[in-house]
Amino acid sequence: MKIIIHLGTGGVGKTSVAAATALKLARSGVRTLILTTDPSYRLRTALRLENALLEQQVPLEGATGQLWAALLDVRATLDEAVRLHAKADKQEKILQHPIYATIASSLAGMQELMAVERIDQLMRRGYDTIVVDTAPSRHALDLIDKPLHFAALSAARRVKLVGRTYKFVEALGLTTIGRNALDVYKRAEEMLGANLVRQVLDFYSLFFPVAEGYSERAKKTVEILRNPMVTEFRIVSTPAKVLRDATFFVDELATRGISPEKICVNRAWLHPDTREPRSGLQGEILDWYYAVSDSHRAAISEVRAKLGNRVGEILVFNELERDVDGLDALEKIASQIK
Amino acid sequence: MGKTTLSLALGLRYGKQGRKVVLVTSHPLPELALSVSLAGLSSRFPLAAKNLFVVHLNPIELITELVHKHFPMPMVARAVLNSAIFGNLVDVAPGLKEFFFLGRMQQLAERQREATAESADYDYLIWDAPASGHFLSTLRAGRSFETYLTGPLAAAGADLNRFFSNRDNITILPVTPLEDMAVTETLEMTKELSEIFQLPAKAVLVNSVSPVCTASAEDLAQLLTANHPSPAFRFALDRGLMEREMAAALRNMIPAPHVLVPRITRWENDLDLLAQLAGSLNIPGLELPATP
Repeated sequence: MKIIIHLGTGGVGKTSVAAATALKLARSGVRTLILTTDPSYRLRTALRLENALLEQQVPLEGATGQLWAALLDVRATLDEAVRLHAKADKQEKILQHPIYATIASSLAGMQELMAVERIDQLMRRGYDTIVVDTAPSRHALDLIDKPLHFAALSAARRVKLVGRTYKFVEALGLTTIGRNALDVYKRAEEMLGANLVRQVLDFYSLFFPVAEGYSERAKKTVEILRNPMVTEFRIVSTPAKVLRDATFFVDELATRGISPEKICVNRAWLHPDTREPRSGLQGEILDWYYAVSDSHRAAISEVRAKLGNRVGEILVFNELERDVDGLDALEKIASQIK
Repeated sequence: MGKTTLSLALGLRYGKQGRKVVLVTSHPLPELALSVSLAGLSSRFPLAAKNLFVVHLNPIELITELVHKHFPMPMVARAVLNSAIFGNLVDVAPGLKEFFFLGRMQQLAERQREATAESADYDYLIWDAPASGHFLSTLRAGRSFETYLTGPLAAAGADLNRFFSNRDNITILPVTPLEDMAVTETLEMTKELSEIFQLPAKAVLVNSVSPVCTASAEDLAQLLTANHPSPAFRFALDRGLMEREMAAALRNMIPAPHVLVPRITRWENDLDLLAQLAGSLNIPGLELPATP
């Protein structure tokens, strides 16, 4: 099995590149799944992504492989994890808990945790390749960092409420400051609010079996995500941003011992200059187009010169005339992959 | 989508007008917050250099500051900050970082509002906010704390919620290029902002538009009757026509002035790019009268 993870900032067309890559693989005989977080409405329709928890097969005429698509719905994945991994009598308590409601309503930071959970679910289903389109953000690397923080928290087995004091004082490392520890802890409650601290701890004590199971799975999944024999990282960007974005991601991945396989420069304007006579509005539009095009060529050369030796390959994708809105558009992007 | 770049350009515009500007970014990495550089500002625009301040607010630093305030003994504060549970708790407690960030934004804004015109620290507080989904979940953090908790944090949550649902305090300027997904997201975001937070958009900054988009309907009609062999031209025209459709849809859905910001094609350096953009950012109702 192989996993291909796409990283990139917002607005670069990461979903399109990831979906086109999956399509290309399916066409060449691979049983492929695309896991996407946030497809546009029309792409969602094209990929038949109506149900948050089920994978859908996308019918492809004449393909030797298969294309499947799955959506990462954070709330649905979280609810599902609770139903699968918490005891029957605890499920409702968890689902009704104020902290659970807070998590579910803000969802900040949950995306990466649930992405790993979803990848884990999908890995058991016999796909040859899973293509992942991460959330559009500079925090994309949280995909491999955050589950480990979470695992560290749930590993502190003493997170349990006992009356007015907490048994996990030792685990906090507060014993090192001696007998004032409890007093310090009281002040921590004053600062963050006893209510928040208690709610969070109470929630995690209920959530523990789910969290523990999650952490076990997440640790294994993250290990797989960091294994270059299985997982390949690709950076997606646009010509204007590619040097900054790619330098950032290549450096950040390097600190985690990962070297990305490809940089995909998407949405390039590279039509040849046919040197037609230019005048009026038409001339203005052409001058404008070629000025943008020149800057794209310069940016692509620069990224080749500066990062070419740090990644396996740099792929360039031309921008389409219309926004990517269906399988035909994806086919056009896929046809640009050699 | 160009939020950081346009925030800087707007700050530069007002700075050049002699207005004091504080620009707050909330990107996770300070060096990337300024992915467009202000290098050369003091020699090219000395007045703006005197007036423009860029601040990076890191929620983790705000929390660290709070710990130090509550535990004046540095050793104790360090022990709390270094404890694995505290670190991981802050990391996974939902909305906590967003909550602290909003709190600081409110403090900065209140300081400006309470001052008299002469003593105000700054005339504009510009927030280069996170992308639409994360921005909304940041605003919701105050609401969640108010709804689901009790005690001091709930009271602070209610206070933040009041502050960030008041259009006297906040001016919303959505930024979008004319692309399917970005426009859809912008429409969803402005709908939630105006219906749930009572914060309708003051103006929409339509970024990176082409000359096809700004051309008059008559000139364009003439172009469309002719045959064009150049693939480059057909491409530019097709994309431009699509942009026009989206611009029209956007205007129909958001009743506010729409400011078209042309895509800049040539610039000497980052500052030059910002200066060119600043020229297009004439946002109705936001300009203060010229300083003497």
